[in-house]
Amino acid sequence: MLTGLREAQLARAIERLRNPAPGGKAEAAARFGVDVTLLIEQLKLEPAERARRMHSLAQAAAGARGAARKA
Amino acid sequence: MNFEAAVQRLCDSGVAFVVVGGWSAIFHGSSHVTNDLDVCYARDRANLDKLAAALAPYRPRPRGFPAELPFLWDAATLANGTIFTLTTDLGTIDLLAEVPGVGSFPEVLAVSVEVDAFDRRLRTLDLPSLIRAKKAAGRPKDLLVLPELEALLEAGGEDEKAPSG
Repeated sequence: MLTGLREAQLARAIERLRNPAPGGKAEAAARFGVDVTLLIEQLKLEPAERARRMHSLAQAAAGARGAARKA
Repeated sequence: MNFEAAVQRLCDSGVAFVVVGGWSAIFHGSSHVTNDLDVCYARDRANLDKLAAALAPYRPRPRGFPAELPFLWDAATLANGTIFTLTTDLGTIDLLAEVPGVGSFPEVLAVSVEVDAFDRRLRTLDLPSLIRAKKAAGRPKDLLVLPELEALLEAGGEDEKAPSG
């Protein structure tokens, strides 16, 4: 079952993203331009909440694209 | 677009499916917004019947298919293909009989996990398999999200699986 991270897991994940190990994937992501603060915000949520949040964003983005086409 | 309704419809219709692609990434913590719902589905006849019936009310048509040409949406059509990139009244939905790097539905199911989302319990690829699928697909939009997914896997790993480079 995919669930949100428990408190200790979340604390460890945040630490690894904020202070990535040299040569690791988190460091590579940061160098690539990934905004780890966004990942941290997502990891604080349960998967259902992540989905709800991104669904709202997707709908807002689609609405904005529609408005831009009409303009 | 209403992916929530699409997922609920598939679940409530008893379709055997696994969410892959961008929504799977979101369940795992990705911050990338996605414009479509990618699902891998079982190709047995009973499931094709359920899948066809589930989406029929939402007028599925292949994206880019000429509007003036008729398109028949039923289980027989589904049986004749393995990839359907659809536009529907609920949004764009991609139906995949196989997932690159993972395999067909039984293999996908074997590496899937349950997740509660959209007020339903459904299945999605586990994170290592999603990464494998994205690498195998290899399109720019897949590769773009890879660093994020790999960082999530590393960040969420147990201590003994700590960053190794």
